Amino acid sequence: MKNSANFEKLGAAQAAILSAMFGILILALVHLGTEISEVFETTIHNMGKLWMPGAEGIGPYSGKETVALVAWLLSWLILHRILRAKEWNHRNVIIIFLAGIALATTLLWPPFFSSLGH
Amino acid sequence: MEMRRSNKALIISILLFMAGTALSIILVSSPSEKLLGGEAIHRLHMAFHGLFAGIFMVTSTIGFYQAFRIWIGEAIRMGELQVGSFLNAFACFLTIVFGNQIYIPYRAAGGPRSYFLETSPEIHKIFFEFKEFTGLFTLPLAVAAAYLICVYGERLNDNKQLREIISVLLILVFFYFVIAFGLGAAITKLKSI
Repeated sequence: MKNSANFEKLGAAQAAILSAMFGILILALVHLGTEISEVFETTIHNMGKLWMPGAEGIGPYSGKETVALVAWLLSWLILHRILRAKEWNHRNVIIIFLAGIALATTLLWPPFFSSLGH
Repeated sequence: MEMRRSNKALIISILLFMAGTALSIILVSSPSEKLLGGEAIHRLHMAFHGLFAGIFMVTSTIGFYQAFRIWIGEAIRMGELQVGSFLNAFACFLTIVFGNQIYIPYRAAGGPRSYFLETSPEIHKIFFEFKEFTGLFTLPLAVAAAYLICVYGERLNDNKQLREIISVLLILVFFYFVIAFGLGAAITKLKSI
């Protein structure tokens, strides 16, 4: 990440929280996908096996972490470049951030899966 | 300033000496062969997972308290906040790293997972699966908080919106930590690895 960000503005802070939310949301969506499709679950597990020590024993969880980690860091890099010298509406960013976190929590709550028939 | 620096060096030296002494006593007097023999690596991972979760409990609780101070606009000692937020993120990272490794014996044949799936699958689903994912939420949140506290520094004192962002992050770190820690503690009471 370049250090030419303008820290008089909130852009760098907004990039950091939105990317954290994005990574968390991707984690929830990937988990949902693995609950629905076995092929997807195997693919995700293989992604974990690419680099994580003990991924074979850890199972698909290793791949879910991998995808979430990549989504978080990549989105941070992109958002930081977009927002480093400007800022979006603070209120809207906070609402999107909290809504994303709440949605991810709901998607991961097991009784929610049951209600979807899994 | 010179005095302050020498005090810091002295305190760090004393802490290192105390840690070294404690470690030596533990290695000499504890039944360490139980920790280091047989399924040694899993026991070590469990020990470190518990150790770092304990540290993370302390740092995230302090973070929760600091969040309210930041929220209401109290003057902040930036150096303390920066070191604390870094330790918080680092403890979180290490807890997750060792947590990953103890997932291996949890999932192994005859481990707690198969026991729960046979006896009461909802315990695995609700207690363990929800815990393992919400526990991961804490890392990007804690890292974002530490990053913002470090790069914005003293600007935090004058910027209400920035203070709100950091307070929300620290509160969420504590919230998701409590869920993961509470459910993890419950699981170990029901059946340990």
